[in-house]
Amino acid sequence: MAAVQDSTVAVGAGANARPTAQGRLASIWTKHGAGYMFLLPWLVGFFGLTLGPAVASFYLSFTNFDLIRSSEWVGTANYVRIATADPKFAAAIKVTFLYVVLSVPFKLAFALLVAILLNRGIKGLTVYRAIFYLPSLLGGSVAIAVLWRQLFAGDGLINSLLAQFGIEGPSWISHPDYSLWTLVVLSVWQFGSPMIIFLAGLRQIPTDMYEAASLDGASKFRQFYKITLPLLTPVIFFNAVVQTIEAFKAFTPAFIISGGTGGPINSTLFYTLYLYQEAFGNFRMGYASALAWILVLIIGLFTAFSFLTSRYWVHYDD
Amino acid sequence: MTMRMTRRNLLAGGAALLSYSMLASSALSQEGRLRVLWWGSQARADRTNKVNQLFQSENQGVSINGEFLGWSDYWPRLATQVAGRNAPDVIQMDYRYIVEYARRGALAPLDDYLGSTLNVEDFDKVQIEGGSVDGKLYGISLGANSAAMMVNAVAFEEAGVDLPTPNTTWDDMARIGAEITKAGKRKGFYGIADGSGVEPLFENWLRQRGKALFTADGKIAYDANDAAEWFAMWTAMREAEACVPPDIQALDQYTVETSPLSLGKAAASYAHSNQFVAYQGVNKDKLALNNFPLIGKDAKGGHYRKPSMFFSVSAQTQDPELGAKYVNFFVKDPKAAEILGVERGVPESAAVREQLAPTLDELGRAMLDYVSGLGALAGALPPPPPSGAGEAEFALRTVAEQVGFGQLDAKQGGETLVNEVSQILSRG
Repeated sequence: MAAVQDSTVAVGAGANARPTAQGRLASIWTKHGAGYMFLLPWLVGFFGLTLGPAVASFYLSFTNFDLIRSSEWVGTANYVRIATADPKFAAAIKVTFLYVVLSVPFKLAFALLVAILLNRGIKGLTVYRAIFYLPSLLGGSVAIAVLWRQLFAGDGLINSLLAQFGIEGPSWISHPDYSLWTLVVLSVWQFGSPMIIFLAGLRQIPTDMYEAASLDGASKFRQFYKITLPLLTPVIFFNAVVQTIEAFKAFTPAFIISGGTGGPINSTLFYTLYLYQEAFGNFRMGYASALAWILVLIIGLFTAFSFLTSRYWVHYDD
Repeated sequence: MTMRMTRRNLLAGGAALLSYSMLASSALSQEGRLRVLWWGSQARADRTNKVNQLFQSENQGVSINGEFLGWSDYWPRLATQVAGRNAPDVIQMDYRYIVEYARRGALAPLDDYLGSTLNVEDFDKVQIEGGSVDGKLYGISLGANSAAMMVNAVAFEEAGVDLPTPNTTWDDMARIGAEITKAGKRKGFYGIADGSGVEPLFENWLRQRGKALFTADGKIAYDANDAAEWFAMWTAMREAEACVPPDIQALDQYTVETSPLSLGKAAASYAHSNQFVAYQGVNKDKLALNNFPLIGKDAKGGHYRKPSMFFSVSAQTQDPELGAKYVNFFVKDPKAAEILGVERGVPESAAVREQLAPTLDELGRAMLDYVSGLGALAGALPPPPPSGAGEAEFALRTVAEQVGFGQLDAKQGGETLVNEVSQILSRG
């Protein structure tokens, strides 16, 4: 039996004959086995740490699980409360949308500006690229959020600088009118990864187009508007989608800077922070799971919307 | 196994490597092994670890694995461990959470060990009842504390103002606060912290008026007028610059390090008496302890002596008796008492208090004197907070900020607070 199978494999793999199901599997294994072995850590992580918990959280979103007692099925009660009777949900949505709407365009514009400057063939480009990318590596970390707290606190560096000009600044991070802006600035400061992608996109644009345009007397601004921007739209689109998703998921800066409260007066209550408070502060795991799925839905809708509208403004060169 | 060892070694430091690998081998046999989890500072951890070693050396074959975290990380971790059937055997528990954990079946009742393994006859009866839920004992108090005002004595002296006394009223405090701010001896420095969002302070003020935060059956125990008057008092102080402005107050994350006192923004802040050591630790100026201000000359009963924290035994433990034995050692053994001092509050055992009194340093003595000298200022222990109390505290803080930043006036603030808290409590 084993011998027969072995020979089928040999035939299947060698002579391209029609193999049996088992033989096909074995042939995939011999061809791609090493690849799957390399993928294994990722696959285990994906099924064990991402997909499994996601499915579990979908189930839990219909329960009143509180971490300690066994959970009871409550049907759609969690979703009903989110939709009808949770003012903090509304506050968190407002703050999060504001953050997305403010931080993503500013960040992309800044990233594009720096990418264009770096694309002018300056010496030591790689060094600059690395330096500008650095904040993106550090940005999500607790240490940077703590640093931000120090910078924008009442007697922080920013106010010391302002004092040089005779301006007495408030405590930016703990004033409801400004606190969200400090988080937006923190996000814009991490422009590195979209910048790298923009830079790659800029290098794809054939230089003869610019040469032709300048021969025809087009100004720099007109070249940017008529050549650079249209040809860059696929990259802009990609960056916008990725950054929007990231902005919706932002957690650490708000958590550290507000001390986990989302304050003052819920002005930094990011959606994920509210979700965390419900889950680990108030032990409403079921409710927090429902909140998480609403966020998945929101991000999904946003992304779908982006893809649907993209055909009207994204130019693919084919 | 390797991973567990690594984590332990990480916790214990390289020096303890040998003893801890022995510990791990005995852990395999599950023979007399206790995991203890608590929140607190490094100073608390050092003391606790010393007591753990003492307990091990006096009980052959028992090994203790201690772990500690900060307050805000502690509760998510504990909840996750209990949910994962991986709860520590001995759990440091707070008055705010003991009802929830006990009712959810996460803690072991300790009544069976009273008089045999647990010898707490010389404890204050009220404090024992504080650890009881539905008639069963779930927590042994590790010390008593009371809410207290931390006062920067040096800043008071600089401003030429007398330190507050037990008879200082809120009117006095408003005047004193404004004087300190006006004296302007330090840059960006104000009289007192803005306590409008500090729940223990609000509770103290309510109790002096004969009200409370919550009723025994978990309902709200004050009305919109009370809250409005409270906010109005603070609005007046804010306008007179007796207290810090709202954007400075909002820096307070309700930790020792971020309070306006420790940040060098105010000459007084609100905390609990057993935190005196920690406050003095991060403040260069000499601090003093005082009770919260009075609503009138003869007001009383605002304060109460509260179990600062408990040790509870997990319902999941293999050996609840060993857990009870450890807890008893912690609160009764003279050598353990000497190591622990009053860092977790004033010990409940009369014998331990007597033993400690002559050995205390200045800070410990001030704390002991404060808690035992409250007299008529202290009233009865309120019932344990209902579930949702954490959210209610959060609501007070948020509404206080709304009033502070001028989004609501005091009257609207009072109504908003009472509405929100009632809703939170009815949801449970």
